[in-house]
Amino acid sequence: MGAEVITVSTDTQFVHLAWQQNEGELANVKYPMGADPTGKLSRTYGVYDKNTGLALRGTFIINPEGTLMNSEVNFYNMGRNIDELMRKFKANLYLSKKADEGCPSKWKDEGDKTLAPSAKMVGKVHEALNE
Amino acid sequence: MSKLKLGAPVPDFEIDTYDAVAGDFGKVSLADLKSEGKWTILFFYPADFTFV
Repeated sequence: MGAEVITVSTDTQFVHLAWQQNEGELANVKYPMGADPTGKLSRTYGVYDKNTGLALRGTFIINPEGTLMNSEVNFYNMGRNIDELMRKFKANLYLSKKADEGCPSKWKDEGDKTLAPSAKMVGKVHEALNE
Repeated sequence: MSKLKLGAPVPDFEIDTYDAVAGDFGKVSLADLKSEGKWTILFFYPADFTFV
């Protein structure tokens, strides 16, 4: 995928081990499972719920310079769409090389239409997207 | 809420991990990932033994 994914909950690494070894859906987990039992990292990212001691479903993309490029937080009962996470990551990677372009909402992968903001495009985004 | 801002640097962190590929415990450090030129995706979820 081109990025280091770290999953994080407020469970310990020992519970991560027990869960991973029990749950068939996790048989092929390739990501390090991060343990944040004090909630320190979850607090830093604003996803810690002090009423429950749990972390909300937050996703954060950090570039190789350590800059936060994307954030999304879902409440407990709303799952995330991995295709959308991949789209956001690929777009961030692309834009890190083409900073003067913009990835519109339907951009999925390199080669798809991008936009370069200009005076010419004001009021003409529809034409620019469909030319 | 978080004091982190989009487009601004995040503080370095180091966190204990369970690495299923290695079958062992370990640590992940943002400073190391940065020095390896890697992008990092943090994926928080409420609890083990529930859906993610």
